[in-house]
Amino acid sequence: MDALTGGPLIRDDEVFLRMNRTERLQHILLIVSFSLLVLTGLPLMFSEVPFVKAVFAFGRIFYFRGLVHRAAAVLLIADIAWHFAYTILTPRGRENFRELRPGLKDARDAVVLFGYNLGLSGWLYRRGVLRRFFDRHPFWRFGTPPEYGRYNFIEKLEYLAVAWGSLVMIVSGFFMWNVELSLRLFPLWLHDIFVIAHGYEAMLAFLAIIIWHMYNVHLNPEVFPMSRTWLDGKITGHQLRTLHAIEYRKIEAARAERSGLPHQT
Amino acid sequence: MSAPALVASLVLSAALAVPAAGSPPGRPTDADCLVCHGDPGLKNSQGRTLFVDGGGYAASIHGTAGLSCVDCHADLAAVTDFPHAAPLKPVDCFSCHGDEAAAVAASIHGRPGGPPAQAAVACKDCHGTHDIRSSEDAASMTFPLNVPKTCTSCHLGKVQTPRGPEFIEGYLRSVHYRALSKLGLTAAASCVSCHGGHNVRAADDARSPVARPNIIKTCGGCHAGIESDYREGVHGKAYAKGSLDVPVCTDCHAEHEIRAPSDLGSLVYATKVAAVCSRCHDDEKLARQYGLLTSRLKTYAESYHGIASKAGEVRVANCASCHGHHDIRPPSDPRSSINPANIAATCGTCHPGAGANFARGKIHVVSARTENRWAYAVKVIYLAVIGGLISVFLAFIAADLYRRLRGRWTR
Repeated sequence: MDALTGGPLIRDDEVFLRMNRTERLQHILLIVSFSLLVLTGLPLMFSEVPFVKAVFAFGRIFYFRGLVHRAAAVLLIADIAWHFAYTILTPRGRENFRELRPGLKDARDAVVLFGYNLGLSGWLYRRGVLRRFFDRHPFWRFGTPPEYGRYNFIEKLEYLAVAWGSLVMIVSGFFMWNVELSLRLFPLWLHDIFVIAHGYEAMLAFLAIIIWHMYNVHLNPEVFPMSRTWLDGKITGHQLRTLHAIEYRKIEAARAERSGLPHQT
Repeated sequence: MSAPALVASLVLSAALAVPAAGSPPGRPTDADCLVCHGDPGLKNSQGRTLFVDGGGYAASIHGTAGLSCVDCHADLAAVTDFPHAAPLKPVDCFSCHGDEAAAVAASIHGRPGGPPAQAAVACKDCHGTHDIRSSEDAASMTFPLNVPKTCTSCHLGKVQTPRGPEFIEGYLRSVHYRALSKLGLTAAASCVSCHGGHNVRAADDARSPVARPNIIKTCGGCHAGIESDYREGVHGKAYAKGSLDVPVCTDCHAEHEIRAPSDLGSLVYATKVAAVCSRCHDDEKLARQYGLLTSRLKTYAESYHGIASKAGEVRVANCASCHGHHDIRPPSDPRSSINPANIAATCGTCHPGAGANFARGKIHVVSARTENRWAYAVKVIYLAVIGGLISVFLAFIAADLYRRLRGRWTR
């Protein structure tokens, strides 16, 4: 191929746009609103902790906590509304949405990645344990890591988590903000469920972000100390090839087609 | 004293002095005494002043009533030779004020069973000597505005009561003392309003007005409306039956340091009410004895009302906002603010238009299994999902790190 084209279709140092400016701004607004919401909301789940008590004992801080929390909620809702419009109205938004749809492959990818990382099956296979089983079902050998499209199962899970979490938080939070309206519509026991769900969903979201997202974009040795994609939106050809192989081959194929060359798949 | 009143009193004393002039000859007149005792420099051998302010005495309740020096200093009535010998016998107030003297003798200030003259606290300690005035006279030591000073002159100094001076000083920070000292309201409670005057008794003496069986009536003496509210409520009804466990006024409002509920230092300040109520309502022993629902404070503290209240937010509901305060009634009482029929109105005071849906659920214990099983289910599901998902995340992260480390080891 190289001989025919005078070089690879995608160079390793070529720069691709992974997050455009709109997506980056939406992400930054999400960071700001989410952080403010966590800071001003989550302490209520731990109101007995001495540090929380000490902070809340300071003047009218509890009152301002509420103000900031609701202001950040409005910001989050606006961000999500923008993202909704963007997803529906722009071609790239629609394409992203298609790419983000979870499928069976994602579940399989998760299992394969875990098995591959653990390396237990490969070790057993090399030692001849269950060799006939592994020969008949090579999937369970987890010999190679999974290949991903534009979004891997980790990213899809995070996107789904944000969607689900926002839905729960916005609905329950809206009715907690407007107690009178809520109780005109629902019995108290249902309103109580809003309160319970709001608190625990917040815990879930916070832990998911702190553990899962922070590992994948910060602490993971692959990107440590931080993937810069959220700031400059860029991804290199090399990263594309190693981290999003299916997307890489798709781009490669599209280029090959455009240049009228036959391509391998 | 105004000029006409002074004239009137002088005329009165002159009129009363006429029959006194007709008393046995040789009785020294006030003028005779003041020849020496009118000298501001007159001192005894120990240097104590022997000066008597003649004008002050004339304006005193005894002076205006026409009593002369020797009516009280009776042992001088027959003396003709001056200067007279010292010391004199203590003045005998009891010959005229027998009832009061008996009351003092039976009080904590007296020596019960002993003669009135040997009371631990003498009449003059509270009333003064020559310048005794009616307690309605603003210059009197027993005028309501002056009573705290009179009592604290001993009780913050040489006399230690069992609970120490801090306990007594609390009164000086109370709404009662504020009303006396800042607003000059003579109707505000001074020491004697609650403890009695001549018949002051220890608080644990059943005859004391501040003893548990009497305190409601004592406070109700001024706060009549509150007393009747209290007697209508669940606490008041048990109190009337003689229960010693129900709260009386002082249990919630403090004893000396009673402050206005709007005062941050008050025990019933909005954010502190929960602590006051839970002293009994979170008490296991009392709960068993009276069949109370326990952990009221815990369940309140877990609610948004409780969390915000603890953080100093005064606009959220505390116990009293929903249950009332003086006339707290059980929910079964149709007049109770938390009777299901009244809950909408009670909650509606803060949440206008919330309506009857407020009654469709439990206020306390929102997520306990027995109270709201759907909320409980949501909570359990969340805990399971959080636990499960976080475990999966950690397992994936551990596996990822393990593979990377293994790559490094084998390389």
